[in-house]
Amino acid sequence: MGSFEYLRPASISEAIALMEGSGGRGVYIAGGTDVMVLIRQKKIFPGCLISLRNIGDLAYLNTASGLAIGSAVTHNAIAKNEFIQKKYTALTDATNKVGSLQIRNVATMGGNICNAAPSADTACPLLVLDAQAVIAGKDGDRKVPIDDFFLGPNKVALKPGEILKGFAMPAFNGRTGSAYIKHTRRQAMDLPMLGVAARITIRIDGDEIGCKDALCTIDNISNILRRFEDEKLVCEDIRIAMGVVAPRPMRAKKAEEALKGKVISEALFEEIGEIAASECQPRDSIRGEAWYRRDMVKVLTRRAILRAVDRVIRPDDMIWPERLW
Amino acid sequence: MKKEINFTLNNEKVTVEADTQWTLLYVLREVLEMTGTKEGCGYGECGACTVVIDGQAVNSCLYPIMEVEGRNIITIEGLMTKSGELDPIQKAFVDEGAVQCGFCIPGMIMSAKALLDAKPKPTEDEIKESIEGNLCRCTGYVKIIDAIKSVAGGR
Amino acid sequence: MDGLKFVGKRIPKKDAPLKATGEAIYIQDLKVPGMLYGKILYSKYPHAKILKLDISKASALPGVKAVITGGDVPNNFKFGFLKDNPPLKSGKVLSTRDEIAAVAAVSQEIAEEAIDLIDVEYEELPGIFDPIEAMKEGAALVHEEFPSNVLKMPWKFVHGDVEAAKKESAFIAEDTFSTQWVTHCCLGTSGCVASFDVGNTLTMYSNTQIPSLAQGDFLEALKAFGLKNKRVRIIQTVIGGGFGSKLDTYAYEYIAILLALKTRRPVKIVFSREEEFLATSPRQPTITKISQGCDKDGKLTFREMAMVLDNGAYTSWGATTPSVMMVPISSLYKVPNIKYTAKCVYTNNTYSQAFRGYGNPQATFAIESCLDQLAEKAGIDPVEIRRINANESGEVTPQNFRITSCGMKDCIEEVVKRLDWKNKCKRGNGKGVGMASLIHVGGAARVYKSDGCGTIIKVDDNGKVDVITGASEIGQGSDTIIAQIVAEVLGIPMDDINVINNDTDVCPWDVGAHASRTTFVAGNSALGAAQKIKAQIMEIAAKNLGEPVDALDMQDGIIFSKNDKEKSIPLGKVLRKAHYSLGGRMLVAEHFYDPPNENFDQTFRGNLSVSYAYGAHGVEVEVDRETGQVKILNYIAAHDVGKAINPMLLEGQIYGGGLQGIGYALGERMIYDKGYLKNGNFLDYKMPTVRDVPPVQAVIVESDEQAGPFGAKGIGEPGLVPTAPAIANAIYDAVGVRIKDLPITPEKILRALKEKEGQKA
Repeated sequence: MGSFEYLRPASISEAIALMEGSGGRGVYIAGGTDVMVLIRQKKIFPGCLISLRNIGDLAYLNTASGLAIGSAVTHNAIAKNEFIQKKYTALTDATNKVGSLQIRNVATMGGNICNAAPSADTACPLLVLDAQAVIAGKDGDRKVPIDDFFLGPNKVALKPGEILKGFAMPAFNGRTGSAYIKHTRRQAMDLPMLGVAARITIRIDGDEIGCKDALCTIDNISNILRRFEDEKLVCEDIRIAMGVVAPRPMRAKKAEEALKGKVISEALFEEIGEIAASECQPRDSIRGEAWYRRDMVKVLTRRAILRAVDRVIRPDDMIWPERLW
Repeated sequence: MKKEINFTLNNEKVTVEADTQWTLLYVLREVLEMTGTKEGCGYGECGACTVVIDGQAVNSCLYPIMEVEGRNIITIEGLMTKSGELDPIQKAFVDEGAVQCGFCIPGMIMSAKALLDAKPKPTEDEIKESIEGNLCRCTGYVKIIDAIKSVAGGR
Repeated sequence: MDGLKFVGKRIPKKDAPLKATGEAIYIQDLKVPGMLYGKILYSKYPHAKILKLDISKASALPGVKAVITGGDVPNNFKFGFLKDNPPLKSGKVLSTRDEIAAVAAVSQEIAEEAIDLIDVEYEELPGIFDPIEAMKEGAALVHEEFPSNVLKMPWKFVHGDVEAAKKESAFIAEDTFSTQWVTHCCLGTSGCVASFDVGNTLTMYSNTQIPSLAQGDFLEALKAFGLKNKRVRIIQTVIGGGFGSKLDTYAYEYIAILLALKTRRPVKIVFSREEEFLATSPRQPTITKISQGCDKDGKLTFREMAMVLDNGAYTSWGATTPSVMMVPISSLYKVPNIKYTAKCVYTNNTYSQAFRGYGNPQATFAIESCLDQLAEKAGIDPVEIRRINANESGEVTPQNFRITSCGMKDCIEEVVKRLDWKNKCKRGNGKGVGMASLIHVGGAARVYKSDGCGTIIKVDDNGKVDVITGASEIGQGSDTIIAQIVAEVLGIPMDDINVINNDTDVCPWDVGAHASRTTFVAGNSALGAAQKIKAQIMEIAAKNLGEPVDALDMQDGIIFSKNDKEKSIPLGKVLRKAHYSLGGRMLVAEHFYDPPNENFDQTFRGNLSVSYAYGAHGVEVEVDRETGQVKILNYIAAHDVGKAINPMLLEGQIYGGGLQGIGYALGERMIYDKGYLKNGNFLDYKMPTVRDVPPVQAVIVESDEQAGPFGAKGIGEPGLVPTAPAIANAIYDAVGVRIKDLPITPEKILRALKEKEGQKA
């Protein structure tokens, strides 16, 4: 391990100044769970590490309008946030499954995104939640849609001297649900073979959506959806994102297009899954075979949309009849 | 490049002249010669090096010593009472047969400690979450879960 | 009921407090004064000529005390089962784990830096990575000095007339099964400290599980290094997991010795996790052709198996796994006609070694998967065919195994009952059940000339007892089991017993912690020693109490007369009476137990073990037809253990073995691509986490083995032997596809399901 300086600035501007003064040998470090590994593997040889842990301006979590999360917020803080669990559930699904609890306690979402691995778990949820990357630079902040932030493997749209400050997501109406499904070989401590996220907003003419039927408590979502068939639930808005099936996390835009405005059904989701599968470009690796990944995009797209729909129809905080008994 | 780092270790103030590139694990094992905390992989993939920092379980092998300034750290050495009695978690691990080769155990116990301090009556899922980053090759985890449960039951 | 106070009880493991407090000293934790840190440079290529090896920069680095290469190995010394493995390779490398240079430096960091400064130029050569290719006529030779890539080891067992039996069989099932490399994943990596004193006595601090054999290996090395007639002392630190990984000596140990000799300072080499994956030896991959037949009633008529094992580039003790594979092949169920051949083939891959089960998991995967195929052909329920053919007490198997205690049928019935087999099988709804049985050596295994273990017991002035045993404690709990046996015989509290088990200068000989033999052999040895020392104690106590010996008993460390409880004397006092009288004596007893088992003869016949362990595993799975993922809903592991000396520790062996078996069945594999290991880390090697643990029940069946200590048999390995075929069988029951190639990944299941659908369409 080569020798390096370790700097702990207290503000964003100080951090940027330190980076500029590092002669190109500075590396930002937040939770450190990626950076420390890269150093140990001798993949990077920083002259100095610039720690972002002491910067209060990177550690915010605001829910006043939509959702704003600082880049230095840890995965566990996001996973355990009840507001996010309710309103931005896909993000909960993802942050809950990154690495292990020990990793989630220190690893930050900013780090997960800036590392820009095709397998970054939080990327897909951010894509479907219409997140914007908030980027701080010398001349102030700028916002970039997260879809434009990923340029390729380990490449993001940060210019020299810039810091990813956080993420801003809009508020969604109460007829919106989201989900992320991480497909792994192990039930913990694993990278995704692939991941699929979906957000859907559904509409039913003139009525609130929600399952008032006692059977809802025990039946599976496929059957419930079938019972809603006559009521014509319409997909008002949809986002689908896929990870590990292309050089960067990507939206399945054709699939989204095909679903938007349509009356939803499981059969339709199946078709949507096939479209998504045709959009991705998976490859073979030691972690999974291309054909399998493509197949799973199909299956998991359907399941992710279904789960998102489920979360609209049967939100977790509904009081089920049996709990009243 | 050395810097002075001050922190609380097992309820005692500690000052270490630390090289900027050292990890907390390195300081614990090589500088302070506290070898109870183990290194199983060095990449945060096995949890053998788990310690509790400000109440949270953390892989000390990935934790830069420079970030330890001002923090409160508990390691496996900090669990026994001054009179030499085992902490209830340690006792449960012994009594429930949760220990075999033992290499993962200090890390397991520290993960359990962080959990039980925050949630004295955890669910089974919370117990599993707390040790999902702690690999064990000997026990099949069954008796480790039992041990953590038994502490929770006894509290 | 049985009047036992210690045996059969859930007594906490003796060393658990030490481990739970972090006080236990593993090899990682050990520092010896003046110690240097050694580091090894491995080959960059799986097969290459070394054109240049320049160590000058590394040698010049401040803090580096020695750099050695193949030229520094005296007398062309080689180690390994066939002595084909030089500790440092020169001229040519045969695998990516080939050691080509090593350094000793004052710190780990400097040692690592020095390794990076060694300049090597290679000429890459084409390698041979497929054992089938390597067997072909004209294939390039991995070792040019040998005439063939097939090892000259005559693995062949024939009994009866398989060809005739084939003709008479009503049903025959045949297929090919294959298994992968899997590795031990000990949480504590391998390591040692080698240290010479002024008289050139070598002390090896080691985490070996074969101290006595390692002592022999190192003595031989010293001789080759020009140090004749020297002594070797092995001191075992606390061992961070074994599972067979430390059942042979490795290059790093000889390298540490060479570096210590050169520097005259202690040298420590401890593997990083990457090295542990790269440079320890996994379970051997196998390709097995099997054919089994039965008559119209389901009685087995024959079993024929031909196996190819990837030996890798060098030969360890692991090349003898076919001998242990023969145990299930000849003797799992009653099979009158057997034919088995095995070929171990050199390749430019990593070389294999021992891993829990020692060949049995590979063989049982083929046998038990194929047995379900046969049952289906014969129209017999999988349980029924196992009942019909189950082993029984009194049986003499084709290899001349004399079956004593046998709880196989009980194990099968436990599985059937607890799994609710009748209602759970053939549901066709994506859920299914499967089972598989096992036989393993349960009363030692005479693979070496001796299968013995010695014990010395001494009583100190205060009535405390030291038990000095040859047995190695590798986490399995041998210290506790031995203490329980001694406590039971003597009638003294567990806390009064200290077990010393880690120093060849002190401990008697033992062949090693292998073959599930420690409870049986070390237990019997401790039992014998305890009985001898008890006789001495009673003799002295009798004199002091004026009572005949047979009227005396001992409880809680006090000897008393059964006739008159007032007449009593504490153990410490007995000792002091003996010690402080004229012609004083101390109480010491020793017992060497070498079981009455047999080495195989030339035809591989002989009663390898004094008793045999049995078991049956049953599993209920749910298969996701869309993703191919398997979820284990229920897992039953029933084991005939003779007698559980400590049910708590025993369950630990079953749970631990079972999860290793589940990893073997469903996910673990070392991915080698043309000789390069692609997943040598805990993220990509899918060892199960706590989230992967299914609901599991360990069922203990006691068959009271007469030759075992208090009736006990071995349980170290059996826990993972039938796991993979039980799961494969359950998957077949659930969705009708049979995966014959481990591990059973979602991809394989999905592909098979698609093929099946395609056939229908």
